[in-house]
Amino acid sequence: MVPFAWIILVSILLFALGAIALITRRNAVAALMGVELMLNAANLNFVAAWRYYYPDHLDAQVAVLLVITIAAAEAAVGLAIILNLYRRFGTVDLDQIRLMRG
Amino acid sequence: MFSLLWLAPTLPLAGFLILATVGARLPRRVNTALGVGSVGLAALVSLLLAAAWAAAPPGAYTQTLWTWLHVGTFAPGITFYLDPLALVMLLVVTGVGFLIHVYAAWYMQDDPSIRRFFAYMNLFVAMMVVLVLADNLPLLYLGWEGVGLCSYLLIGFWYREPGNVKAAMKAFLITRIGDTALIIGLFLLFAQLGTVQIQALLAAAPGLTPAAATWAAALLLGGAVGKSAQLPLQTWLPDAMAGPTPVSALIHAATMVTAGVYLIARMHGIFTQAPGVMTAVAVIGAVTMLMAACSALAQRDLKRVLAYSTMSQVGMMFMALGVGAWTAAIFHFMTHAFFKALLFLGAGVVIHALGGEQDVTKMGGLRKTLPGVYWALLIGALSLAGFPFVTAGFYSKDAILYLSWTAARGAPWLWALGWFTAFLTAVYAFRMIFLVFHGPAVQAHPVRDARVSVPLGILAVLSVIGGFVLLPRVLGGFAPFAAFLRPVLPEPPQRDGGIFEVVLLAASAVASLGGIGVAYLLFARRRTTSPDAGLARFWRQGWGFDALYDRLVVHPYLWLAQECRHDVVDAFYHGLADVCLMLNGWLSALQNGRVRWYAGALVAGAVLLLALLVWR
Amino acid sequence: MTWADLPALYPMLIPAATAVLLLLTLTVRRDARLAAGVAMAGFIAGLLALAASAAELSHPVTMLLTVDRFAVVFWGILLFAGLLVSVFAVGYFRTLREPREEFYLLWLLAVVGAMVMAASAHFAAFFLGLELLSVSLYVLIAYPRMQSRAVEAGVKYLILAGASSAFVLFGMALTYAATGTLTFAELFTHLTLFPGDVLLLGGVVMILVGVGFKLALVPFHFWTPDVYEGAPLPVTAAVATVSKGAAFALLTRLLLGVIQAQPGHSTLAVIFTLLALASMIVGNLLALAQGNLKRLLAYSSIANMGYALTAFIAGGDAARVAIPYFFAGYIVAVLAAFGVMTQLSTPEHELQEVEDYRGLAWRYPWSAALLTVALLSLAGIPLTAGFLGKFFVLTAGMAAGRWTLVVTLVLTSGLGLYYYLRVITALYQAPLEGEQPTPPPLHLPHRLSVLTGLALAVLAALLLLLGVYPSPVLHLLAWP
Repeated sequence: MVPFAWIILVSILLFALGAIALITRRNAVAALMGVELMLNAANLNFVAAWRYYYPDHLDAQVAVLLVITIAAAEAAVGLAIILNLYRRFGTVDLDQIRLMRG
Repeated sequence: MFSLLWLAPTLPLAGFLILATVGARLPRRVNTALGVGSVGLAALVSLLLAAAWAAAPPGAYTQTLWTWLHVGTFAPGITFYLDPLALVMLLVVTGVGFLIHVYAAWYMQDDPSIRRFFAYMNLFVAMMVVLVLADNLPLLYLGWEGVGLCSYLLIGFWYREPGNVKAAMKAFLITRIGDTALIIGLFLLFAQLGTVQIQALLAAAPGLTPAAATWAAALLLGGAVGKSAQLPLQTWLPDAMAGPTPVSALIHAATMVTAGVYLIARMHGIFTQAPGVMTAVAVIGAVTMLMAACSALAQRDLKRVLAYSTMSQVGMMFMALGVGAWTAAIFHFMTHAFFKALLFLGAGVVIHALGGEQDVTKMGGLRKTLPGVYWALLIGALSLAGFPFVTAGFYSKDAILYLSWTAARGAPWLWALGWFTAFLTAVYAFRMIFLVFHGPAVQAHPVRDARVSVPLGILAVLSVIGGFVLLPRVLGGFAPFAAFLRPVLPEPPQRDGGIFEVVLLAASAVASLGGIGVAYLLFARRRTTSPDAGLARFWRQGWGFDALYDRLVVHPYLWLAQECRHDVVDAFYHGLADVCLMLNGWLSALQNGRVRWYAGALVAGAVLLLALLVWR
Repeated sequence: MTWADLPALYPMLIPAATAVLLLLTLTVRRDARLAAGVAMAGFIAGLLALAASAAELSHPVTMLLTVDRFAVVFWGILLFAGLLVSVFAVGYFRTLREPREEFYLLWLLAVVGAMVMAASAHFAAFFLGLELLSVSLYVLIAYPRMQSRAVEAGVKYLILAGASSAFVLFGMALTYAATGTLTFAELFTHLTLFPGDVLLLGGVVMILVGVGFKLALVPFHFWTPDVYEGAPLPVTAAVATVSKGAAFALLTRLLLGVIQAQPGHSTLAVIFTLLALASMIVGNLLALAQGNLKRLLAYSSIANMGYALTAFIAGGDAARVAIPYFFAGYIVAVLAAFGVMTQLSTPEHELQEVEDYRGLAWRYPWSAALLTVALLSLAGIPLTAGFLGKFFVLTAGMAAGRWTLVVTLVLTSGLGLYYYLRVITALYQAPLEGEQPTPPPLHLPHRLSVLTGLALAVLAALLLLLGVYPSPVLHLLAWP
């Protein structure tokens, strides 16, 4: 079986990729996808920790299910707001949405 | 019964709050009734407390409402402390305060801002009661500053006159010098003795080192001098007469200016540890009383005569405190509150009847038009002049004069100054009476109103009978007042008077009668007017202190300020401000509104913290 | 969980049930006033139910929640804030053309989420509460959907709060990997046993990023001014009070014990100290020259969280009093400030600039007076709630010997005084020569509703009462 550290490494990489997407993508939907990627990195971590170290507890599995549900709710609300953003600004380019600053 | 104590400050405070908040929606009559009624109820509470005290004296009564904050030994509470000294003060403040409020209802009846007036007055009474009943120094200081604020607000009550505003500002700034000294003194006492509770402080006072005791007492004296208009911080009081006359009567004669006397009497345990400061108290008092009496003699403005007279009489109380005659000082405080309030209220009627005229040389013959006021003012003047055997002023003044010689800390020269001041007092008191009420008559409107006659009548009666509670030994020694205060204020050690007491008593009588006689010769027979030059002018202007301070303090300060406009100190602060603004500019530039930038900062912050974790 | 545990949860269950009830009501009848009334009734019932919870203190309810005195105090604060924000919302949203009813529904859910956070004893409860609060807030912030600024603020909050949640979750995963448990108690044991475990500490730090984001600690503060400015005023008040109160309660639950158990120079303590110092300095500096009152209050909130963190780092019994007291004072002052702004604003026309408030005292003396007291309290002037709050924080800091923090707090408070007084001066300035007094904010005849007036009066009374008469609250906070 692959060592646990590798899986942790993958999950950290996944998280970092999500963060990079968040920072570099100007499209609001893409940024939201970056956030989803970060959440999934955490899920991977949970599942791996359960499988390797604590296979007789169910905590992590429950946590992952909870996160998937919450992420879905967040995505639904988030997309609705971004849709409204497009209606108001005519774009979803985050760099053009800066009425407020200072 | 004593549990009612908290009502004494709360009722006037409630009056203030109601007037300040919803008063605008209420009719004027209701506002007036609220303003007068709240103080009246407070006076009633005080009377009930006094009755309960007479029935069963508890020694002292402490009521803790709550503790404000608690840090180590610093635990100032909203705690009231009632003992004989506080009770006397409370009775005078609320009682005389109530009478003056009744009078004010007449005096201010046509003023458009009557609501504001009564709101301030009620706040003043509340704060004065807090000051008197405070069980700890922070609470006392709250009252102390509160009355100072009210004094400022009420001197500048008619704020459309620039002169009034200036007078208010002057009073505020000059008393502030004393207040600063006072608060430093309070800090010093707390640092030395580790408590802010007054009774605990007094109990611990003998443990103070001489140096600490001297500093503490001197700083307290600084506060007392500012509030009580004594040398060298006396110049604000005459200008404070810019306020409405009831204000002058209540704040600048009967109660607030005697707060300094109360402070010293209350903290007497500290002062007895500092003999040098005691001497300073006596000397300051003696010099102030003499200088102010001379100034009073030369004034033309009726209210300024009374202002200087107040200063002089408070000086006399200070002299008594300085020789350790605490009880005599408080006795004189009480009688003075009666007759000086009476004089001010009467003067207010006179000024009102003359349509605002305040110059005594332009008055005359008013005893026909204002017979009631004439009698009231005459009784007040007799009491002020210390007319022998029948007036309150005679007994209180005599007690001070007697002890200023015979007390262990007394001295013949103190007595001599006091005696001469008493003589001058009689002269200026009757100069006022003769110039205002005798001689050729001037046009005036008669005044007839119960709100005037009742307070004047009561105060006149008190000005006479108020003295029969502390008679000298040769006149029977009936002294319930001294016995009442003895648990709080010790009697000063004194030489045995014997026949000497009779001599001094006679001398007091002579000073009073002689002064009245001289006044009769100078002002009733000839109506001498002092010239506007030379000594009279110098005295009229209060010994030139205003000009002196102008030269000595104001001008150099302004010069210094002018010179210091570009100095290093400023450069530092300007530099600091510039640096802050520069940083502000940089940081604001970071808030550029780009959400990707913000996300980057979030991630960078997280990376930074994680790096810190690994690096350590 | 048994039936006996139920009463302890009533204060939280009642608003949650009210949300469901409101949803059902809306299917029958859409009426904004009715919806607001139902929500307020829910909050009031929740507040009343606190008495039931208080009767059974220190009560673990399943492994997820703990209802102890700390939770009850914070629940009280949160429910109170919830009630007042609903009251303010009624007047504020009256001109909104779109449906207004769902606002109250979402708001009830947000407060329930915050309450879950404040009482959580388990990461699952923590995350659930956090997301319930956050997701409700996304919508609440962008609620006036025709206002571009509100939508912009909503998107910004959505993306950034989502990212911060991801950090929290990843941190939880790491701690789980290190300890195999999701309860706070176990985390505490592990942290004290293995203070140098990098995996565990890394997890804690990542959770801290998320909590720091909610509290707007520097460097996680960037979203604050933009969201404050864009969000409709009642929601700004909510973000400033409910969201921060819940996050701080959670932080206290999660890590106060750890900070106290570890030596003063432990890595966590150093991290917290840096966050506190940066927040106090940067927050106050950013507020200095700010001309927009909402942004100014946003920056001031950053600084205030730095102050609160000072008490947190100090730990000890003093902090157990200082943290809730500081928060109570802070929340009352912020609610009062935003309350005054709210009653002068509508979604279409908000009074935001300090200039808009010039001469307010001449037209609305009561509002100006309340705003003044609120700002003075935030500045920490004696006889206001803020003074005692700051005072307790300082006492805690000094008792623990945290002199760097204490000195920074005092110095930066000086900066704070400057910008608060700048606003206060504007309130009492006469309108400029030749210029009309502030243009009337509303075209509608402006009349304060009885309810709003009452709410503002209560806030004013509390501001002064907490500053003058602290004993009852301190008594309540005598937390075991």
